[in-house]
Amino acid sequence: MAFDAKLVMKDTVAMITLSGSLDAASASRFKEVIEQAAGQSPTKLVLLMSDLEFLASAGLRVLIFAKQKMGAKVDIYVVGSQGPVLGTLEMSGFHHSVYIQDTYIG
Amino acid sequence: MKSLCLPATLDALEEIGKYIVEAAKNADLDAKAAYGLRLAVDEIATNIITHGYKEAGKIGDVAVSGVLTDSSLTIVLEDTGIPFDPMSHNLPGDDYLSLPLEERPIGGLGIFLVLKGVHAFNYEHVDGRNRNIFVMNRPVGTPE
Repeated sequence: MAFDAKLVMKDTVAMITLSGSLDAASASRFKEVIEQAAGQSPTKLVLLMSDLEFLASAGLRVLIFAKQKMGAKVDIYVVGSQGPVLGTLEMSGFHHSVYIQDTYIG
Repeated sequence: MKSLCLPATLDALEEIGKYIVEAAKNADLDAKAAYGLRLAVDEIATNIITHGYKEAGKIGDVAVSGVLTDSSLTIVLEDTGIPFDPMSHNLPGDDYLSLPLEERPIGGLGIFLVLKGVHAFNYEHVDGRNRNIFVMNRPVGTPE
């Protein structure tokens, strides 16, 4: 399934809905949306990932980019991630740096 | 299994992914194993396309093929980009994996995910071609 990323600002919270396959071919699109979100100076970044089917290291690198671009004080929430996508996040140690939730609890 | 030869651009990743999903299905791999294999092949194919060809100023193809036996599924990626042994790079250790994201250097995770995703991985450079070889054990008792 093709990758898609949609940004919605809710007050100062940047919410991005991700779907499809996030690898090196689609990471640049995700990075663009992260840059759009960063331009709004959000206080939190919420990534809705229940429809994200595939996550490669190129996508993980954009998450690192997001944290470095927005600053350590902007918490990142990964919401609805499951199965092997969640497994990849945990295996890579990202669960130490982001809040992983089934449904968004701000 | 039929092989697939594609121009080495990032657009190839989708077709390679479809090939792996189909091969994993034919091998009766469970969902977790199939995903691990797809991720491993995607990571190496990305390295081939970006480092082996694009950054080296080269143009060429990447070929993917599979061999199914009673006990295993072997996937081979072949290319004529610059010789590149993925195993020659240091893997991220526990220190890296526990670093907060804001302190992490970009990169280093791809090969880690390759080795986590497959039962065996090998690299060889033969007759001017890079060969990256991924092996998955099949569930016991699976007919060919």
